[in-house]
Amino acid sequence: MKRIVSIIILSTLFWTGCENREGTPGITDTEILIGNIQDLSGPIKELGLLIPAGSNMYLDYINEQGGVHGRQIKMLVEDHQYNPQKSVVAAKKLIEKDQVFCLYNVVGTSPAEALRPILEESGVPLIAPATMSSSMADMSRQAAQYIFHTDAGYDLQTRVIIDYILENNPDAVIGLCYQDDDYGANALQGCAEAESNHSISVQKEAFQRGATDFVGQTMNFMKGGCTDVIIGGIVREPVTIMKTAQAMNYKPNFYGLMPTVDPRVGLLAGEVGEGFIAPYHAYYPDSDESGPTLYRELCDKNNVPAKMRGIYHYYGFATAHVLVEGLRRAGKFPTRERLIKGLETLNNWESGVFPPITYSRNDHTGVESLYLLQLQGGKQIAITDWRN
Amino acid sequence: MKSRYQDENLKWIPILIIAIYLFPFLIKNATFSYKYYLYILNMAGIYIILTVGLDLLSGFTGLMSLGHAAFLAIGAYTSAILVDQVGLPFELSLIITPLIVGIFGFLIGFPALRIEGMYLGLTTMGFGFIVKRLIIALREWTGGSAGLQVSKASFFGISIKNDWDNYFLIYTFVILAVIIARRIVQSKLGRAFMAIRDSEQAAQASGINLAKYKMLSFFISGLFAGFAGVLFAHTNHFISTDHFDILLSIFFIVMVLVGGIGSIYGAVLGTLFIVLMENLFIPMFEESMAQIIHLKAGEFQVFIFGLIMLLFIIFQPQGLYGMWLKMRIYWKLFPFNPRKRFT
Repeated sequence: MKRIVSIIILSTLFWTGCENREGTPGITDTEILIGNIQDLSGPIKELGLLIPAGSNMYLDYINEQGGVHGRQIKMLVEDHQYNPQKSVVAAKKLIEKDQVFCLYNVVGTSPAEALRPILEESGVPLIAPATMSSSMADMSRQAAQYIFHTDAGYDLQTRVIIDYILENNPDAVIGLCYQDDDYGANALQGCAEAESNHSISVQKEAFQRGATDFVGQTMNFMKGGCTDVIIGGIVREPVTIMKTAQAMNYKPNFYGLMPTVDPRVGLLAGEVGEGFIAPYHAYYPDSDESGPTLYRELCDKNNVPAKMRGIYHYYGFATAHVLVEGLRRAGKFPTRERLIKGLETLNNWESGVFPPITYSRNDHTGVESLYLLQLQGGKQIAITDWRN
Repeated sequence: MKSRYQDENLKWIPILIIAIYLFPFLIKNATFSYKYYLYILNMAGIYIILTVGLDLLSGFTGLMSLGHAAFLAIGAYTSAILVDQVGLPFELSLIITPLIVGIFGFLIGFPALRIEGMYLGLTTMGFGFIVKRLIIALREWTGGSAGLQVSKASFFGISIKNDWDNYFLIYTFVILAVIIARRIVQSKLGRAFMAIRDSEQAAQASGINLAKYKMLSFFISGLFAGFAGVLFAHTNHFISTDHFDILLSIFFIVMVLVGGIGSIYGAVLGTLFIVLMENLFIPMFEESMAQIIHLKAGEFQVFIFGLIMLLFIIFQPQGLYGMWLKMRIYWKLFPFNPRKRFT
């Protein structure tokens, strides 16, 4: 017994005095370490490969040009399988074990929301969480001062689409097919706002994340006489709903929220996808703005396969601009506080990928306007100006 | 007749308890990332409380449950509502919440009177789906699908601020849970559970009230899950329906199976093994191994867990604790042990 107790005490003493790091975590003379948490093996794993690939393409480009203040940017990617619990574990690992400077691009609303207590405790900024839920930009919520949102919210997207539909057809009967989770909840907020503004009632049908059968919902829209149906899914959902409607000989106008702005929707839906309308909050990858032009050049230079190019790959590329600008503005001797202060100096900042972004101490919203794209002949064509 | 626990050497228990409490000091000095390891251990501790309860239900009473993630969810949400919205102290929530979850367990025990095996598993799984829908529907209290922020706990005036404080709170309850579970197993109640597991007809013939003991088993298992739920909510400070999916229930079953179903220490070992494998050991080799066997980084973990399950079921159905017992017997008899005893 005595021997065992002695061993325990000796082991404790043995470890005493081991290393303890000083200075800003994640910053060395030559490197800045960034943490990214994606869904690599969960329900939206295809995004988990595309988004960081797009970010890395831009970060490599910056690194080739000498990095930020002479430091190369290195990004570590962890998997959360779209589970908030695993998101917390991944964040703790990145912050405590890998000692990253900041977090960037955590995908999904609930996995990002779950990090608020950690952000508050550690003071680590989260830049461009990859969720369009406007709750991420709500400054009254916990740790809001550490979160810099970039995307236009699902509520704004839904409201803008309903406004557009009623502009073109005041007698339209509108249906909303929403994912029964935080994504859908935010879309419903925008829908409620539009219903109140226009004194209309929208028919709402829910579906579960990962659903593959939409016969019930489509049938209900047909029964309700919906002339315009908004789909709050990603890629599979709009394609399946449009094909199901075609099989039922039901032909409303179809719209999708921003995650449906993916070339694969057009490719998979074929002729039934013609005319599909969805909003977008950045300069489109095919446009002539400086950001999209650089994107196409880098894609060609890095031989990015055609099937990878698209809004999700481009999304990673675009949001990396905000990260890099924040790091630049944090100065030669960056700290997490300087990064936050640096980002809060963005005032109508032109990134070349997003419309002008302004952050301040009381506003971390990012992009607050969007435009509508329509699938025409397999290509997405802008059909409106910027709206909000 | 002596029970199995009266045979065992209990001298190491106080040493183990001292080691548990000393461990954070050790790890704090060993690595700057000790907070991360403490968080992993805290989650393992919470899951241990739950799996010990699950083992009482599945391992000792023979009733399958695929709904324990739902029990955990009810516990987490109930405590979050009681503490943050009703204003009850955390200590009171630690008493009330497990009782509420226990009552849910009691109610779920009703179908167990009529059905068993896979059918009971499917019924409890259905219960999990209903709970998830209910949480979303009761958005006024639960925050719906957007999730719910949960406050930090305060235990008799001591504020539980971080993972360091949480560790001591959680592992105190882990020790208590293991002691209570062992006492239950040794008691008349535990013997009734085991009799039901071994043969319902024989148990009934011996005068055991099947309905009473089956529902009691669900109630007790619910109590443990409720307790774990309280700690889960106040450790993570954020809960949402995404936390408690069916995969988590399956993981709990895997933890019990890998540890050795029908043994309290097995549940502890199995939970520690799975949580540490998932968060510490697999990530060490993930990248290099994923390149060798051409799996995407995230899929490697699923592959390894599938393999572990398969290997345990085929080669070591008694789990880690069974393996330990065999090793102990082998060394006790050494060098006069027959070769076959260690295999």
